[in-house]
Amino acid sequence: MNNLLIKTVDLSKWYGEVIGLNSFELEISSGITGLIGPNGSGKSTFLNLAIGTIKPKTGHILVMNQNPWMNPKLKSNIGFCPDYDNLSDEATGREFLELVGGLHGLNGMRLKNRLNEVSEVVGMKDALYRKIGGYSKGMRQRIKLAGSIIHEPKLLLLDEPLSGADPQVRKSLIEVIKSLHNDLGHDIVVSSHVLYEVERLTSKIALIYKGRAIASGEISEIRNLIDEHPHNIIIEGNKISDLAKKLLDMKYTISVGYQEGRKRIKVQVSKPDEFFATITDLITSLDCEIERMYSIDDDLEAVFNYLVEG
Amino acid sequence: METMGNITKILALMKYSIRKILFKKRIVIAFLILLTVIGIMGYAGAQNTNRLNTGSNLLGMLIVMFFMPAICMIYGCSVIRDEIEDKSIVHVFTSPFDRIFAYFSYYLSLVICLCLILAVITSLGFISFFGQQGIDGEAMNIYYTFIGLVFLGVFVYSALFLLTSVVFKRPIYFGLFFVFIWEGFIGNIPGNIQKISISYYLRSIGSKQLEYITVNGATDVNTSLMAIFASIIILILIGSLIFKTKEFT
Repeated sequence: MNNLLIKTVDLSKWYGEVIGLNSFELEISSGITGLIGPNGSGKSTFLNLAIGTIKPKTGHILVMNQNPWMNPKLKSNIGFCPDYDNLSDEATGREFLELVGGLHGLNGMRLKNRLNEVSEVVGMKDALYRKIGGYSKGMRQRIKLAGSIIHEPKLLLLDEPLSGADPQVRKSLIEVIKSLHNDLGHDIVVSSHVLYEVERLTSKIALIYKGRAIASGEISEIRNLIDEHPHNIIIEGNKISDLAKKLLDMKYTISVGYQEGRKRIKVQVSKPDEFFATITDLITSLDCEIERMYSIDDDLEAVFNYLVEG
Repeated sequence: METMGNITKILALMKYSIRKILFKKRIVIAFLILLTVIGIMGYAGAQNTNRLNTGSNLLGMLIVMFFMPAICMIYGCSVIRDEIEDKSIVHVFTSPFDRIFAYFSYYLSLVICLCLILAVITSLGFISFFGQQGIDGEAMNIYYTFIGLVFLGVFVYSALFLLTSVVFKRPIYFGLFFVFIWEGFIGNIPGNIQKISISYYLRSIGSKQLEYITVNGATDVNTSLMAIFASIIILILIGSLIFKTKEFT
């Protein structure tokens, strides 16, 4: 049975008039959990509350059954990798890790051994004596990751660890994060605004939108929700009037509208799977000349809007 | 075990903080102040003058009254504030390190660095004046008194400006007001009003040690020391409690 790591009850946090989290309810158990949401949805606020750098306005959050606010002892069990770059360019990677290790009470041979181990895990052993100012984006992310695991925490909170990295770096960081769980046994909460990135890390996700946890569970369940939400599809080409009429007769069609004259139609469908399964035959039977066909709301924002509006 | 752990954490933060204070570009300001002090005191030392009187007045005016609080302001206002601004303080806030100890580590780092910087400035200023005028037992007495006043001043001004750096987003504005208006002006007004400045107590102590320093209505050494140490304790206590409950995003 999975252990409950984080539990929130009616958790709210706002900054002045800006709402960070609003009656936020979520339970996170062991393993890798992905927090998905658009920018500004409340992911970082949730992680900051979990690590105890900010305190809730109302409700409460328990991390490993303890309140994280003003609880320094709990922090020996949590590693945090923020989404921003807070590394000093003048320091070397080794100096940075010595600081973080020292702040967790490591010294002497134990610190030295951990420095070697974590730099090996994140693939930074050869760059430890170089100044951080000369590191690439990927290297800076790696050294931050190393800093977050130097004290061997049970729980790792990674805030947008892949953001800003190029595809190759993303791929290697994903492998590193996976190995932190698979090989070293860390439980990980990783936030991202890109669904497919998290899909490569875990099948367990929570969707956050406008300060609320709107869905959580296995990614396949969330995918079903996503697939069931009304899709808007644009079809461009010649002789598409007949296609528009035909589409109106289909059960899955909610509406069809012309755009930019009669060379483009926007179709809203309730069951995109059925639409895509039948559209090819319809086009062939009506002898239409289709130039382009694309979905305009595959992005997360549209999915979140749909889920929130019910 | 826990005590050892806290000592390790304090030393780790101090090591990092001291390196940051001493090797940041801001050190150029301290170097320029050093050159100014050497220039002025060296020039004065070349003149035919009452050496003990002029020497102690110069050290008092230049260092105790002006450059010492100014340097404490420049560094004290920035130590924690800079880390909040560049977000490097997140390592402290997310580690199992009681923030009261962390605040104390920053204070100690600041005091060590400022004592070092101001000892160099005071010593080279002293040498550039008395080196030309002659260094004897009386001159050394002046030197030791001023080094003592400078260190005492560093302890209290550091506590004050470190507190302002966790209270204000732009602590330098408060610092400028305090150094130039409060200490520089109100601290020199005759009567009881001067007793609410730090410089009054420093000058009072100096006046009891050296006949060349004069203060209207100077208080005795014990009262001055008590006022200064009480200020240090209260300022550190308030600062550490604010730091402990500070939210950081």
